[in-house]
Amino acid sequence: MLETINRRTALRNLGLVIGGAILLPACDKPPGKASIALKNINVNADQEQFLAFVSETIIPKTDTPGAKDLGLHLFVLKMVDDCFSKKDQDAFMAGLDKVSKDAEKRFNKPFIRCIQAQRESLLAELDQKHIAKKNAQKANKGKVGQNSLPFDDRLAFYNIAKGETIFGYTYSKYFMTKQIVYELVPGRYNPHYPVTKFKEALKYG
Amino acid sequence: MVSINGAVTKQNTYDVIIIGSGMSGSWAAKEFTEKGLNTLMLERGRDVKHNVDYPTTNMYPYEFAHRGQVPYDIQQANPIINRCYIFKEDAMHFTVKDAEHPYVQDKPFDWIRGYQVGGKSLLWARQTQRWSDYDYEGPARDGFAVDGPIRYKDIAPWYSYVEKFAGISGNRDGLDNLPDGDFLPAFPLNDVEDYFSKFVSKNYNGRNVISARCAHLSKPNAIHLAQGRAQCQERILCQRGCPFGGYFSANSSTIPWALKTGKLTLRPHSVVQEVIFDDQKGKVTGVRIMDTETKQVSEYFAKVIFVNAAAVNTNLILLNSKSKRFPNGLGNDSGVLGKYFAFHNYRAHVWGEYDGFPEMTTDGRNPAGGGYIPRFRNLKKQETNFLRGYAAGFSAYRHLETDQTGVGANLKHNLSHPKLSGWKVGSHMMGETIPKESNFVSLDETKKDAWGIPQLKFNVSYDDNDEKMVKDYQEQLTEMFTNAGFKNVQSNDSKQAPGLDIHEMGGARMGVDPKTSILNKWNQMHACRNVFVTDGACMTSTSTQNPSLTYMALTARAVDYAVREMKKGNIA
Repeated sequence: MLETINRRTALRNLGLVIGGAILLPACDKPPGKASIALKNINVNADQEQFLAFVSETIIPKTDTPGAKDLGLHLFVLKMVDDCFSKKDQDAFMAGLDKVSKDAEKRFNKPFIRCIQAQRESLLAELDQKHIAKKNAQKANKGKVGQNSLPFDDRLAFYNIAKGETIFGYTYSKYFMTKQIVYELVPGRYNPHYPVTKFKEALKYG
Repeated sequence: MVSINGAVTKQNTYDVIIIGSGMSGSWAAKEFTEKGLNTLMLERGRDVKHNVDYPTTNMYPYEFAHRGQVPYDIQQANPIINRCYIFKEDAMHFTVKDAEHPYVQDKPFDWIRGYQVGGKSLLWARQTQRWSDYDYEGPARDGFAVDGPIRYKDIAPWYSYVEKFAGISGNRDGLDNLPDGDFLPAFPLNDVEDYFSKFVSKNYNGRNVISARCAHLSKPNAIHLAQGRAQCQERILCQRGCPFGGYFSANSSTIPWALKTGKLTLRPHSVVQEVIFDDQKGKVTGVRIMDTETKQVSEYFAKVIFVNAAAVNTNLILLNSKSKRFPNGLGNDSGVLGKYFAFHNYRAHVWGEYDGFPEMTTDGRNPAGGGYIPRFRNLKKQETNFLRGYAAGFSAYRHLETDQTGVGANLKHNLSHPKLSGWKVGSHMMGETIPKESNFVSLDETKKDAWGIPQLKFNVSYDDNDEKMVKDYQEQLTEMFTNAGFKNVQSNDSKQAPGLDIHEMGGARMGVDPKTSILNKWNQMHACRNVFVTDGACMTSTSTQNPSLTYMALTARAVDYAVREMKKGNIA
């Protein structure tokens, strides 16, 4: 069942790629540069496009908007540029290029030409590696000389890209008005509220 | 020449000068102007007008460039203020950046400041509890610091007076260690908080968990509506400034009230360098300020000076006000100015989980924050190996949890379908620290700030009493949580530096004996009858209550006294 959905999504995203490619020349930015102003990291148009597909793989367009529709990759770039240390920024950029090359090697075509299922398989691997590393860290806790596992900039890139894509998505106007609605002015505090009612109000919960 | 100076002097002369426009200064302004006195209120920062100058107040989370996070370079440049919970993208414009006003830390001290009209009253946590006589009699009974010169009966009517105007929500709990006030309806405890409250009352003699009392208009009265304030809308975005005036701030309440009288002159951008003691006249005549925009130095004169610059800056101003008569700081015949400086110990937390009430949760937000555990240690007699005790916050909540593993449509689906977590419970300590001569602030001999004033030097630290108290809090709350059936109970000690509690007190303490204190029981300087200090600097001891309500009450009481003394001709 899950696979069916993914395949359908992948096909839809393939359409998006073609549409996107047609639209690209219309951008009036200098060639080879990122489309937003960045002050700390150097990102070229290819890297930006790769990241756009990474974000889209994490939050794909389904019957609701995906990462590209919401410009989440640009949010990721903004956050990496403003809210991370130089060390994290360097790891992010190095990891970005490595994951991009990994994809090309594995699928014999750029990541952005891959179908969603291929892109997902690559990122899911990184997801698994990240979980394994976290578990290893937990298991090694307190053992002398075992606390720090080798630094992996592919994982650094993946964790930042995923974390900030999710952050940007769940804090987007779309999500906060159409999915889990954020109330600026609740105008109430009910200290005794049945969970059943709460779930109804949440609609999705 | 003489006539020009005379004209300037006359133009710069008021009945009263108030240094500072925050929690206590704004109350002084309200009281003096209501009584018809021409009042000048000096504020070192910029003006912040209610509603006009709250740029982020109506912003949605997605309207912040970094969704609330502070950019890395700003965090790196501001290690001190970055430790404060207020320092987020929505309210960091109301805090002082580290480089703006440097100071010397002989021992680590996180000096958290809000330099603007309204001061930190815009940013406070809005918890308001009265002191009882267990607190006022503490130093005398337990033999530390000096005896405070006032008792509960002296200040009780003034607590009522300020509570009615500010608007304090709470229950009449009938506790002798936390007197009831003139309350608006409380924000009730939720199911788990209520369960814990009942469990503690039943199983621990003398311990209680009550609805936190807070300066929110749960149900405004006519006096609040007259201030232009409205019912609290449970936004819990208070630190941005509240468009409803739902919580008490100087900006929404006391300052506009004072301005309406036509008797208040508010002068922002005015850093007070010193209070002027005229050696020829033998009295305080006014203050010297530097305008932070023009760098021009000028003098203002008045019959009465109220020093409300917030505890630390009040010490700084008084220490820097030197004359032949007072070579070591204004009113400092005793030599205690800057000493016996104290604060609150907020280092420890205890938390856990609870399996009960799985069918219940909450809806909306609670501006009071949950429950409050009044001090129970060493309350009626000395019973532990440390002096004094701690109050504690207590709250229970459930939050939304999402499964964020994997990528793709499945992850996206999960993000929109969060699960309600089980109940979490948490507590933080608010411990009394003992004022000691060895905890002091002083002027640096060489370093100065941008306004020509010596930098302040901090020698303030925890002691063995504080360490024991942290341990006892962890043990007691862990036991109470465990016995109540809470699971996975854990505790920590943040080891945070003094100051981050933002409850710094003392340095110009009140006392009975002028040989060991700076102020008398009316917050009036023993040695300068026309100078009053009613902010945190006046405190003889700290007890465990959040202090702002007591500053408000002391201020209103001191103004009442000062005006009576002016009428009698005792202050001229």
